[in-house]
Amino acid sequence: MFGDYAALIVLLPVLAFVLTLFLGKKLYSGGALLPIAAIAGSFIISFGTFLEIYPDKTIQQSLSWFAGMNIGILIDPLAVVMLMMVSFVSLLIHIYAVGYMAHDPAKPRYFAETSLFTAAMLGVILSDNILQFFIAWELVGLCSYLLIGFWYHKPSAAAAAKKAFLVTRVGDVLFLAGIVLLYFNMSEVVSSRAFSLEPGSFILQFKSMFAAIPHIPPGQLTLITLLFFGGAVGKSGQFPLHGWLPDAMEGPTTVSALIHAATMVTAGVYLVARTFPMFVAAPNSLLVVAYIGGFTALFAATMGLVMNDIKRVLAYSTVSQLGYMMLGLGAAGMAIGAGAVGISMFHLISHAFFKALMFLCAGSVIHAVGTNDIREMGGLFGKMKITAITMIIAALALAGIGIPLVNFGIPFSIGTSGFFSKDAIIEGAFAYGEQTGDLIPYVFAILAALLTSIYIFRLWFMTFTGTPRSERHAHESPNVMTRPLIILAVFALFFGYTQSGFYGYVDKNFELMGVEMAVHEGEAVPPSIIIVFMPVIVGVLGFLISYYIYYQRKLDVSKFITSENPVYKLLINRYYEPKLASDIIGVKLTHNVVAQSGEFVDRKIIDGLIIDNIIGRTAFKLGEVMRRLQTGVVQNYAAVIILGIGLLVILLMLGGV
Amino acid sequence: MNYALLAPEILLTILALVVILLGLLVSDRSKNVLGYLSAAGLIASLVYIIGTKGEGSLFYNAIVVDPLSQIFKLIFIIVSLLAVIASISYFKDNRNQDEYYALLLLATVGMMVVASANDLIALFVGFELASMSTYVLAGFEKKNPASLEAGLKYFIIGSLSSALMLFGMSLVYGITGSTNIPAIVEYFRINPTAAITTLNVIALIFLVAGFAFKMALVPFHMWAPDTYEGSPTVVSALLAAGSKKMGFVAAFRVLVLALVAIRIDVQMAFAILAVITMTYGNIVAISQRSIKRMLAYSSIAQAGYISLAFVVTTQLSISGGILLALGHALMKGGAFIAVAVVGYMVLSDNKNARNTDDLENFAGLGKRAPITAFSLFIFFLALAGIPPSAGFIGKFVLFYSVTVEAVRQASTWLLLVVIIAILNSALSIYYYARVIRYMYVLPPTGEKIKEPAPYVIAIVLAVIGTIGIGLYPEPFIRWAMDAARVLGVS
Repeated sequence: MFGDYAALIVLLPVLAFVLTLFLGKKLYSGGALLPIAAIAGSFIISFGTFLEIYPDKTIQQSLSWFAGMNIGILIDPLAVVMLMMVSFVSLLIHIYAVGYMAHDPAKPRYFAETSLFTAAMLGVILSDNILQFFIAWELVGLCSYLLIGFWYHKPSAAAAAKKAFLVTRVGDVLFLAGIVLLYFNMSEVVSSRAFSLEPGSFILQFKSMFAAIPHIPPGQLTLITLLFFGGAVGKSGQFPLHGWLPDAMEGPTTVSALIHAATMVTAGVYLVARTFPMFVAAPNSLLVVAYIGGFTALFAATMGLVMNDIKRVLAYSTVSQLGYMMLGLGAAGMAIGAGAVGISMFHLISHAFFKALMFLCAGSVIHAVGTNDIREMGGLFGKMKITAITMIIAALALAGIGIPLVNFGIPFSIGTSGFFSKDAIIEGAFAYGEQTGDLIPYVFAILAALLTSIYIFRLWFMTFTGTPRSERHAHESPNVMTRPLIILAVFALFFGYTQSGFYGYVDKNFELMGVEMAVHEGEAVPPSIIIVFMPVIVGVLGFLISYYIYYQRKLDVSKFITSENPVYKLLINRYYEPKLASDIIGVKLTHNVVAQSGEFVDRKIIDGLIIDNIIGRTAFKLGEVMRRLQTGVVQNYAAVIILGIGLLVILLMLGGV
Repeated sequence: MNYALLAPEILLTILALVVILLGLLVSDRSKNVLGYLSAAGLIASLVYIIGTKGEGSLFYNAIVVDPLSQIFKLIFIIVSLLAVIASISYFKDNRNQDEYYALLLLATVGMMVVASANDLIALFVGFELASMSTYVLAGFEKKNPASLEAGLKYFIIGSLSSALMLFGMSLVYGITGSTNIPAIVEYFRINPTAAITTLNVIALIFLVAGFAFKMALVPFHMWAPDTYEGSPTVVSALLAAGSKKMGFVAAFRVLVLALVAIRIDVQMAFAILAVITMTYGNIVAISQRSIKRMLAYSSIAQAGYISLAFVVTTQLSISGGILLALGHALMKGGAFIAVAVVGYMVLSDNKNARNTDDLENFAGLGKRAPITAFSLFIFFLALAGIPPSAGFIGKFVLFYSVTVEAVRQASTWLLLVVIIAILNSALSIYYYARVIRYMYVLPPTGEKIKEPAPYVIAIVLAVIGTIGIGLYPEPFIRWAMDAARVLGVS
């Protein structure tokens, strides 16, 4: 019953977007209730659909669009878990935003844009073909541009929006190139009759793509998947296109929570998961995914150590955790095949809960103290108990704290959601290392886990403990903001216990689509006890280090934090990425060289010489002359008609009659 | 006979008579209700045509109902509906509204008869019914000399063209002994030697001249700018967006069948006609200050694009032509109505204003009449062929079909025709963008106005149609392909 209305999952927020945009001004709280109601509707339909299709059904609806393309909906396990997560988290964030944005005059625009954004993200998830996926994906990019630059009168926000748009665009172009290449290969395959489309299916549908995998040359397949991954690198902020994500913190914190925790950035991971059978068939691409992901996880975590803006720390943390998800797909994909999707998606969803929670906590703090700088905070624990406690829960989840009791013969382990989800990825990386002898991804992952724990507890201690370092009167946020925190905290604590059910459900995904994936030999050997405990050990170690430095203040780190120290300088300057990306590539190369010379050619030669002087004047003069032919005298008109008949006679006679 | 097939025509004819009778009974002030009545009748017909996929023939095969006739009836009814809704505002204080609506409905019926005509006599009767009604409509503002001039010129040139067309038809009858189109085709099929004679060519040329007058192809176009400019703006919408398409449906039915039958090589002749028409229309449009005139020339250019369908006469090209005709009906109808809003705006500033459609009056329209300005913006982009819009889909299918044929025939000059057509599309952006600049960049010259609801409804419906077809073209493409299949082309 719910499945029949699956299209409404996207259409309701679209409708809310239109209504809020035009009528928001006249409604309560800038029309916030419309998107909230619409997204609640999306969530209810998603959840109802899940109950209907669980455990082994899928929903496919498709309409012919044009030129062999289609528009359609595919709800399989992979999609439905994402749908539930996105609509649920987005719902909570929208509710929270009623409080957070209460004093902003541009509320209707805010709620309209977040509603459209949610619709676009849900559209990405629902798509049953890669073209529609791309269209929704681009819409997500557009909305992120609008929302990051929401306070567009702030130059830094406008610049950040521009950077986000341009950098993700690099990935989008690669993705589009991948689609074009895929289409080219698909039509080759179809026209060579090596493979025929099933009746009622379309050329760019995922199921057709997967069915055609054996017929596409392996080199092409590797290129296509790498191009797809290029798109994912842009959207999910992987190295080297990660720079936009921390800058994107210029938007309202709720936007950061929505875009940069729960939804948009996970689209890249979702893309790789969605097209995973193609990646599995192209192991070289999978290796690239594993290395980029692992490296990004560590690389971003190093910068998270030194940032002083509370949101920036979280941003780097997001980049790092997205790296983990990619690592899970890549390394675990090579080790255990299709099961990697379940592992990675599980981390994606548990991360969405605790990262959204962190951003909302950060928003609550910023709302209270009016600054982003953790050096000016401190001692907030007593004043903001709910925020502080929910934040520590999120931090524990991010650090992956828990006790793997399973290995002692006890039927369950105890731990936060991050403990279950992140450890599985690290173990997957280890399994890959064991099989191939290539332990580098595993080393990336374990070092990143240590740094993660250090930076997140540093953040917590500096914000909530010690003595207040500024003169602001902090107070707990209103209920409309704290309730979503509590709900998310419950998920951050307990979501991990759904692990085995989740794997069992999502692992069936590609089976249900009738895709056979080569499952690699050698099911992961139960790793030794030290490997199992390693993530927890580094997690606790990180906590202790932070506790020692930032709570007990036994170690004075101020002598490291100077511009003299080259390592610190490198980190605080973000490896000079902004300089490289904005100044050298953006301004010097693209603007000064390419754009300026393009402008010269365009203005002076094309516009100046050709358009103005040759085409423009000729067309204008011709127009003037011909206009004079229009005498207004009706006899002339009749005469011209007779002339026209003469012309036709001549033309037809010339035609050889 | 299954008269249910003709239910929309019958309904609209009766409605036209009812409107006239009611006009005698109701007071001048409440004559507005006749507009609502006409709109209701048109909506009913529209629903009937979309809802029932009837096919069949009536009156000894003189009238056929098939996908081709139905998609053109859809076009005519949509345009009439837009015009009627807008007229509720435009003619609000006119005492002769009853005659206006009756004539408009009869014109629509005439066009619909042409769409269904399978016999030269039926075709001619439909043509004349529509023409006679629109002659009067063009001159309906009898106190306005421009309107009278428009009607008179339209009438004179129209009569000349009718005469030419009738002459062509009589030649065809003389050659084949029949006025029934399938019978004519059959005659040529049985007597292939009779097919290629000079007399046939002459007959063909006279028919082309008659249809080309309606289609406003160069050089049969000269009446169009004067008439569109002088007519009441809502009537211009009807003429440019609707009655022009009558020429196309007649040409599709008669010319395509005749060309298939007599196999004269007319590709080059039509290509030249099409290229001249689109280039001329676009170039002259550039130097216009009157937006109605600009739209008239843009209509001429669009007719040039549509007549590319005759150049290659494949199923794809004809369905492209039909799609562009459908798109053009929405875009151009909407654009003229938007101009009517500007006229309303200017007249409410100054009762004695002349040249209400002058470019200067569009300055700051984005601030003064936001819905109208934004819709006009959409129509202009669509007319220029920018996706996702009906204009894009039509042009795309059309240009693509010619390209396919050019590749198939390995014909360079056919490819050149496509390139010229695309360059023409680019050229047209110039004069559309100029108006957009006036609307959004220049400062407004007056207060913000309240846009009358009927205008807004008509414009918004046209926008929805324009964008809707662009976003989800598949059903329309399929309908147009079915319509083209009726003509027996491959």
